[in-house]
Amino acid sequence: MNPMAAIPEIMRVTFRQLLGRRRTLLLVLLAMLPVALAIAFRLGGQTDVERFSRRIFDTVSMTILLPLVAILFGSGAFGAEIDDGTVVYLLAKPVPRWMVIAAKAVSAAAMAILLTGAATALAGWIDLVPAGNDGLLATEAQVLAMVVGSACYVSLFLALSLFTRRALVIGIGYMLVWEGALSFMLPGIANLSIRQYALGASAAIYQLPVQEARLSADTAFILSGVLVVAALAVATWKLMRFELPGGSD
Amino acid sequence: MTVRQALNVIDESPASAPTPAPASAPAIELSHAARWYGNVVAVNDVSFTLGAGVTGLLGPNGAGKTTLLHMLAGFLAPSAGQVLVLGRSPHRDPSVYRQIGLVPEREAVYPFLTGLDYVRFNARLQGMRNADEAARRTIALVCMDDSMDRAIGTYSKGMRQRIKVAGSLVHDPQVLLLDEPFNGMDPRNRIAMMDLLGTLADQGRTILFSSHILEEVERVGTEILVMVSGRLAASGDFRAIRTLMTDRPHSITVRSSDDRRLATTLMADPAVFAVELTHAGLSVQTAQLSAFRRLLAGASRAAGVRLLEVVPADESLESVFDYLVRR
Repeated sequence: MNPMAAIPEIMRVTFRQLLGRRRTLLLVLLAMLPVALAIAFRLGGQTDVERFSRRIFDTVSMTILLPLVAILFGSGAFGAEIDDGTVVYLLAKPVPRWMVIAAKAVSAAAMAILLTGAATALAGWIDLVPAGNDGLLATEAQVLAMVVGSACYVSLFLALSLFTRRALVIGIGYMLVWEGALSFMLPGIANLSIRQYALGASAAIYQLPVQEARLSADTAFILSGVLVVAALAVATWKLMRFELPGGSD
Repeated sequence: MTVRQALNVIDESPASAPTPAPASAPAIELSHAARWYGNVVAVNDVSFTLGAGVTGLLGPNGAGKTTLLHMLAGFLAPSAGQVLVLGRSPHRDPSVYRQIGLVPEREAVYPFLTGLDYVRFNARLQGMRNADEAARRTIALVCMDDSMDRAIGTYSKGMRQRIKVAGSLVHDPQVLLLDEPFNGMDPRNRIAMMDLLGTLADQGRTILFSSHILEEVERVGTEILVMVSGRLAASGDFRAIRTLMTDRPHSITVRSSDDRRLATTLMADPAVFAVELTHAGLSVQTAQLSAFRRLLAGASRAAGVRLLEVVPADESLESVFDYLVRR
């Protein structure tokens, strides 16, 4: 018997769970927004790196697309199973809990990366790559930001979904209040902002001309790694203590 | 393939053969187990041991059956006392699920998976190498071969119950815990499932299933545990408890063409210990229900009275359980 064989099996079911929802279709439509804007910019002849980075990447991809997609997938990886009780079919198995968490997190992060990364790459390919080497590097940096941001958001909100049924609401609150408003007013919050981790990490490839990137690439990678490991460790701890309700009988 | 033949095929597979508990050790052991939620006591000081065989866990809604099964399945820690399955605590020990199969009460099963996908998923999470073969074999046991390629979302409630049972059986566990497994099944499938549980028990497995329907337990369980309000009200051989339930004091309301004359005749019989004339008719108290049934027909004929209505006044399952608790 090979316990590692459980990971691809759990991932397969998680992909089906996340893909089978109507909201995934809405997220795909949302992902089309930066692509549509990139086409509009291209048609309008506005294809420089700075304008694209500020108006499409920063305003749309980083502020709306990435957090929304990753929070939805992260909080949804377990959320529905706990609500409808199907999680019992997963947990009544001789599979170490860390393996369940790893499989769920990788599935949700892969989905988020695929969606946000593909949209960002496509938008960059339309607008930036024709602008030359800077455009290519800027596109790569933006995709890296999506990868790092997806991993962080998914890990954090997957863990949170094991503590509360309101993980999605809290996630949207975090996105709007913490990252949307407070981080602009209080620079110190940068160390506790996934948005800043993602923007900081992108600097490893190219310094994107966005206004409020406050972390160096090294710091961003370290903080992202700490966040992902800590969130998944807490999620494993919580899943080991998971209890089913007694029911009406 | 008959149930017996299919099970023999499972038994021939060394990878999935159950490891029976030592003959001396009970498969399930509860010692003063209790579970409470704040001020609410769901299970209160329950002790019993179970070996191989089918045991019915009977009790009305809210009796604590699901809480007890969840404790046995390792999904709830006892607030007090000890719960052991195959000699060890199932709580926070995923490896115990190699030997436990669980059918939860909740109906939801991954609706996007086919029946075969679902059972195979269970087999693979159990680390079985021959997952596909084992899944198909187990699906045959619950007579779902014809529907195994359909999405579970299209299944009826009874079909979902059967595929859940298949998922819990695929790794051939030594201990099987089923929470209201016959819910939603049609009579034919219910009987087939009962026969399957009986056959599995004959092969040395320990099976505990909950129900609030007396007849379900009567057909499958030779041993019975009766829970009421979180307590173990009775346990032991089903027939003994059935007799206890039948021979308890019964209250019966009888309406006839002449209640007063019928009362006089009934009072003379030792099977009746109280008769009261009420506005609804005669309220008769008896401790021997079967003897009273025979007596009533003869007494009404002898008294020249026509029976209009005979209604048991306290035949609800809850009242039976209440009686067992009071004893």
